[in-house]
Amino acid sequence: MIDISIKHSIEEASKVIGKTWPLYSFVTSNPLSGYENQHFTKAIKQARLFLNAQVFPNASLFRDALDQGAINRKLLVKMLKENAFTESPEFYLSQLATGKNEITNDTHNLDRTMSKWLAVFMDEGLAEWEMPNKQKGFFKAWRKLAVHDNSLPKLNLDDIPLSSEEALSSILKDFPKEDYIKIFTYHLAALPGWTGYINYRNTTKSIRQETYPIILQDYLAVRLCIAKITNAKIAPEKTTTPDEDKLFKLQYIWLQAWEKSWQSELERLLKSQKITHDFNKESANDLEAQMVFCIDTRSELIRRHVESAGKYETYGYAGFFGIAMDYKSLDNELIRKSCPPILDSSYQASEVTLENQKEQFAKYTRITKLNQFKEYILKRMKNMLPSAFGFVEGSGVLYFLFLIARTFAPGYLLKINKNNSIDHESFCEPQLKIIDDTSDNEEKISLEVKVNIIKSAFDLMGWKSFSPIILLVGHGSHSANNPFGSSLDCGACAASPGRHNARVFAKLANDIEVRKNLKELHDIDIPESTVFIGAEHNTTTDEIILFDSDVPKSHFKTVANLKLNLAKAQQTATQERMGIKNGSVALANKKANNWSDTRPEWGLAKNASFIIGPRSLTQGKNLDGRCFLHSYDWKTDENGKALEAIMQGPMVVTQWINNHYYFAMVDNNIFGGGSKITHNITGKFGVVQGNGGDLKMGLPLQSLQETDSKMYHQPLRLSVVIQAPISRVSEILLRNDNIKTLFDNEWIYLMVLDPTDNNNFHYYEKRLVWISENTKINNRNQHQNSHVFEMEESII
Amino acid sequence: MTSELFNTNKFLIMSNMKISFFSIQKIITGFMWLLFICIFSYVLFNFSNIPQVKLGDLFRFNGFVALIWSVVTFFSGLIASYSENYLSGFRYQNKFSLLSLGFMMSIMVFVSANHILIFLVMWLLMGFIMSRLIGVHSDWGEAKEASKFAFNNFLLGSLFLSLGLVLLALNTNSVTLSDILANLNSVPHYVLLIAALFVIIAAIIQSAIFPFHKWLLSAMTAPTPASALMHAGFVNGSGILLTLLAVLLVESKSLNILFLVGGLTAILAQFTKLIQVQVKQKLACSTIAQMGFMIMQCGLGFFNAAIAHLILHGFYKAYLFLSSGEEIQSSDIQKPLNITIKPLQALAVLFFGIMGAFLFNYFTGKSFALDSSLFLTLIVAITVGQATYNIVKEKHLTPLQKTFLPTVLFFIGISTYALMYNAVTILMDDMAIVSQSYKMSFMEVVFGVIFFIGFFIMKLGVYKNYPWLYVKLLNMSQPQKKTILMYKP
Repeated sequence: MIDISIKHSIEEASKVIGKTWPLYSFVTSNPLSGYENQHFTKAIKQARLFLNAQVFPNASLFRDALDQGAINRKLLVKMLKENAFTESPEFYLSQLATGKNEITNDTHNLDRTMSKWLAVFMDEGLAEWEMPNKQKGFFKAWRKLAVHDNSLPKLNLDDIPLSSEEALSSILKDFPKEDYIKIFTYHLAALPGWTGYINYRNTTKSIRQETYPIILQDYLAVRLCIAKITNAKIAPEKTTTPDEDKLFKLQYIWLQAWEKSWQSELERLLKSQKITHDFNKESANDLEAQMVFCIDTRSELIRRHVESAGKYETYGYAGFFGIAMDYKSLDNELIRKSCPPILDSSYQASEVTLENQKEQFAKYTRITKLNQFKEYILKRMKNMLPSAFGFVEGSGVLYFLFLIARTFAPGYLLKINKNNSIDHESFCEPQLKIIDDTSDNEEKISLEVKVNIIKSAFDLMGWKSFSPIILLVGHGSHSANNPFGSSLDCGACAASPGRHNARVFAKLANDIEVRKNLKELHDIDIPESTVFIGAEHNTTTDEIILFDSDVPKSHFKTVANLKLNLAKAQQTATQERMGIKNGSVALANKKANNWSDTRPEWGLAKNASFIIGPRSLTQGKNLDGRCFLHSYDWKTDENGKALEAIMQGPMVVTQWINNHYYFAMVDNNIFGGGSKITHNITGKFGVVQGNGGDLKMGLPLQSLQETDSKMYHQPLRLSVVIQAPISRVSEILLRNDNIKTLFDNEWIYLMVLDPTDNNNFHYYEKRLVWISENTKINNRNQHQNSHVFEMEESII
Repeated sequence: MTSELFNTNKFLIMSNMKISFFSIQKIITGFMWLLFICIFSYVLFNFSNIPQVKLGDLFRFNGFVALIWSVVTFFSGLIASYSENYLSGFRYQNKFSLLSLGFMMSIMVFVSANHILIFLVMWLLMGFIMSRLIGVHSDWGEAKEASKFAFNNFLLGSLFLSLGLVLLALNTNSVTLSDILANLNSVPHYVLLIAALFVIIAAIIQSAIFPFHKWLLSAMTAPTPASALMHAGFVNGSGILLTLLAVLLVESKSLNILFLVGGLTAILAQFTKLIQVQVKQKLACSTIAQMGFMIMQCGLGFFNAAIAHLILHGFYKAYLFLSSGEEIQSSDIQKPLNITIKPLQALAVLFFGIMGAFLFNYFTGKSFALDSSLFLTLIVAITVGQATYNIVKEKHLTPLQKTFLPTVLFFIGISTYALMYNAVTILMDDMAIVSQSYKMSFMEVVFGVIFFIGFFIMKLGVYKNYPWLYVKLLNMSQPQKKTILMYKP
């Protein structure tokens, strides 16, 4: 029987690690999510202590920000003064310049041995010969092999307890129970990437995890067993935290000054917009098309360019289009999540061939199978003895040709591939069913559910009228030789491309029954002439492709014109993004297929704000891809339900993304992935640096920085801006403690533009206290002495 | 947050791009390609009559030198082109370019050196530069350790090579390679044997042959393109060295040693590759196995085949390293393979295998006589048979495809190989005994049998029943201790 206190202590200790996502579906999540119920400063202090991580931008980033004006000098000086730092910013910069130095790892042997076993156990098919006995679970599999391990002292099978429970109990019996958490934290934090992946496997419960189980308890048991056998430390030495309070406080002021500078820039920008233009007032009849883009920061740029390319209106909505589904691939039948990781999937979408397209489907299948066979035979030939030698000699010249082609003509190769491939979207349509329903029956999804999916989209976005064409634009990224490719795909679709959800939404919204129901019960009247079309924005090339195989003839002309204008938008958007006038599209195409490009695109780098409000708030403004945009109209949302849903869902996702970017930026080696140029893929799901070691848990340096020393992303906590009456927002916070905690603990900021108060800016402080330029609104009518820049004594 | 601000940023980026147009790496890349084009067109136009030129006692030039020069400049140029983009923003990009240039030059001088002092210094310099590339990221502790570890290996190799050559120089009273090799018959056999052994040790250190495989498995701290250069260029040094000193190996009768060491490594490394869970380590095991095979080819007396192999393997391995970021994939749990075979399928395998062997022998001018060349023919036959087996078993291929696919594939594979082999042979024509079959030795027969057994063990997956073997191979292929998790960043 395992000691309850052991189980409990493991749970408590596991807060120190986050989740390491596999790179084939890489979700940017907060590495400190275990600490989210604590204040930001408290959490980062723990991270600093246990993970030996940097938790603030280093001095050179601060210096660059100050030099570039990203930190407002006046503001900074004022904030420093208020905290009794009276010298110049430069003076304090030199104090901050205490970089982290490389130190010898005192658990080197233990860490090395553990990473060896973890890597072979968790491998997902890179090795032909898997670790024996994996199905017995990590501890038992290790136990069987440990007796053969000549890197350990000679062992007999009887020397090692039978199970991880017994192992932990027997090793820990010499320690007081109150030390357990400390011991476990110490050992879990030693390899946070690997233990984070165990964490991930435990929450997803995939078939692989069920077949080859591994839990944190196994990890700890193996580790402590090896520690005991090799006489390594079981319990950490008492560490005295260095007295860096002053430094910490300084760093925090600098960070806040940077964030405030951004907020006031944004405030100035948003205020300069005359908010007289009433949202959606223009009759949609004038519009040729309306388009829904993901809230992703990359949509901001393309939306601007699409809007100026014709009579188009754009909206921002979470890129999974409100459909909590998994998607089953036509190619290999693998099922992957296609909705935010915070949601449980309710449906599964799969592809069905259209009646008149069976031939195309057969052709497609043939090609897919042939490709799979090619992969298989290559693998066999390379692995087998002695064909590996003959194979190399026979294929060497071909590899020579590939080398030349991929190095010198990546753009041309992309064209060839495009011309030779068939998109299954042209002959298939997506079909939705209830998840875990084994029959392929769409009918089981009730009309009510379908109607609800469509209705909530219009509700959340504050939609009023319909143009002839409505595009649902998901987004996906295309890059070559990029282990982090999925990190560039749609975050709202759990790092899958968003096209499937877009197509499902379009299909539902075109359904006659659904429309009838919407009209009769919900007073949403979609004209017969309106067609919904799924589309995908390729974020690497800014191309938008339409899945328009079943658009009625009546719309051909408009669609053709739309495509022309989208091509124009691609042109201008890439010009802005690449900073060149000529050949920007060609350059983008090249980047999308260049195997030597470590920065094919910038993903969500630079994200700093989430704006919830109508497009009229931001239209025509260059936000430089720094803002997530969610459409919302406070007037059509009287009870605040729509806003609440936006804050519960999309806002939390943007907070994950933003916090991930922050931490990956401030300590790229610990929270990020380090540099791509020395990455070594492990187990088909992750990367390690160089010869091995800890699994990397976050975005690589190339996703965040222009060069090794020049930043691209600015590590700022997200500023959420909402246009809504302040009382409505306060009510939502009151109802949702989890959201309120995020703001109270300063993981993110909240600003409200109150339309009932002249669109004045109000900054949320904490405990429902709001501050505007001159006034302080306290929704609870409690008087609190607070100040914008004051920091709580208890946390510093 | 004004648009003007962004425009200035954009402008800055653009002006940076303009400046980088004249950067060191651009110049170096251009130089490498220029050199390649010159040398390669020279080789093309003077293909079968490249003159032998001597530059005093210091250097010499011939078809073989021209061949290696074109290969080295090609790989250097290609990897430099790749790196320009891949390493952009890397703090030590210029250092990387300079080291690559140094590496290219050191091989070029090495292969054309006639004076043993130049020869030895270049051998060491090559190793030194490669170790610097392994540790090019010089503020990374593990990289520095890996660099040091590799350099110690190379230093040892250089030491052995120096001892071997100095021993011969003293016994022949000459300081040039050509003189030494011409006067070997005056040297006592035991001296020849010792010298040959020393040379072999130097060679197998460079090629990471067992038991000197560890440095290569610890060298992943090098940026990916540096690894490509290492696996397509550096490790081949042994093939070049052994070819240049082929006479010594033949005279000292040490070919069998090469065959044995190479053969054992080829088998061992190929099995070790099966358990690797990291892509670069997997590639490294593959390289070690391929180098083992190359050394075996030397041991069979086919130095020209070894050179053809190292070039083709270079293309293959450079490609795999440069595309090593493509191994991320969500996948199902592995299912056991179906390894049964029907009589008709077996017949097809046999038929194509034999056809492949005939085609190979015809194209490369070999005979079916019972000599050492038979071993190479056997490898080709098994490879063809293996591929046929996979093709005829594939359910999704039509019978027509099953007939045509093997025919076309093998014809292309064998003929492109033969093209390379014959080109190499012609270019090496003026070198003494680089392509000579010897009477089949007992050991070759044994290895032929071992390869066959190995083939079946792999095919049937019998090895999976031996967990102790798994652990042995796993521990054997671990990187050197200090090159992993030694420091906290």
